[in-house]
Amino acid sequence: MKLLIINGSPRGKNSNSTLLSEKFVDGFMSINNHSVDIANIAIKSTRDNIHSQIKECDSIILIFPLYTDCMPGIVMEFFENVHVSAVLKNKPLGFIVHSGFPESKQSTFVEKYLDKLSLRLECKYIGTVIKAGSEGLKIMAPFMTKKIFNQFYMLGKVFAESEAFDSRINLGLRKPYQISAFKLSIIKLLSKTGLTNFYWNMNLKKNNAMHLRDAQPYC
Amino acid sequence: MKITILNGENKNDAGRFTDYITEISTLLKASHEVVDFTLNEMSLNYCTGCWTCWWKTPGLCVIKDDAEQIFRSVINSDLVIFASPLHAGFTSSTLKKITDRLIVLIHPYVQIRNNENHHQKRYDKYPDFGLILDLESDTDENDIRIISDIYDRFAINFHSEKKFLKIKDQHSKEEILDEIINN
Repeated sequence: MKLLIINGSPRGKNSNSTLLSEKFVDGFMSINNHSVDIANIAIKSTRDNIHSQIKECDSIILIFPLYTDCMPGIVMEFFENVHVSAVLKNKPLGFIVHSGFPESKQSTFVEKYLDKLSLRLECKYIGTVIKAGSEGLKIMAPFMTKKIFNQFYMLGKVFAESEAFDSRINLGLRKPYQISAFKLSIIKLLSKTGLTNFYWNMNLKKNNAMHLRDAQPYC
Repeated sequence: MKITILNGENKNDAGRFTDYITEISTLLKASHEVVDFTLNEMSLNYCTGCWTCWWKTPGLCVIKDDAEQIFRSVINSDLVIFASPLHAGFTSSTLKKITDRLIVLIHPYVQIRNNENHHQKRYDKYPDFGLILDLESDTDENDIRIISDIYDRFAINFHSEKKFLKIKDQHSKEEILDEIINN
């Protein structure tokens, strides 16, 4: 199988989408006789040439981060183009959506859109994988990312064997759908200490911008 | 009332939707302060997810293009109208391009609201918004529900409320004006 992974992250190569798809590709390539291409549509020339890449592959996975509760603008531009050209007709197409927010519920609204889009494009819909809590993957200690990376490795391996997303792995990745009441109460307590915003504060301090964090420049 | 209209008709669309929005905007101007942005005539770039606006120059977007006047207008409005023809079952990429950039108006810090994680306010007050859509030939009720739900989700993160969703050829201009003015 010749797989095309379309990376829909506006951060392109330097993105959490890249990080997750690399693990998927490791699993996918562990099975013989497969090949994979990766297209970063953050790059305009890649966006412009994507149709020929789609025509040449057997199967497509589009991975993108949740942007304002939906797909990023560049991904919407891609959807408009493939809708007009009908290039995805009868092509196997799957999606991976990930969000910085820790609950997968937030990505289930765009999933409904993707379900419907697949009908519209008349593609062979493989399904949608959702992974929440993806921000900061790059700086997390290996013990924190090990499970997620393993899940993506296995997802890729099963995909190479079956051209499908393993439903059990997908269900696992979707946890938690919502944060439990118990954990929410802990988060509320921690937020008083500032600990919940550790990641933001670390970066604000690194940039000497902590004192400006509440700025309202456009008011 | 101060109203900002973000007209997301794509550049290669026919222009009829822009004519229609211009008519609505002109009628509104009789009694309200209206700023009407035809996005495809402006120099606008996609958000790159750099987060400079969250952790380097808080509240300021690093991309130097025409977006700043939109940020100012949106945050100082009482109502924002997201106006767009539908493409591939959603509002246009032209509109989504500027919608992504609106994260400059919220704070990176996260708080629990509706038992979910959402971003905190940066400004004291956020405008409510409405949608004016032009349908595709195959748009069905399910498409409208999907779009409506996604904008309701956006409203939570934007500390705002979706007040209406109106459709160009299904609701009369008077009906749409009435909806805008009475919100």
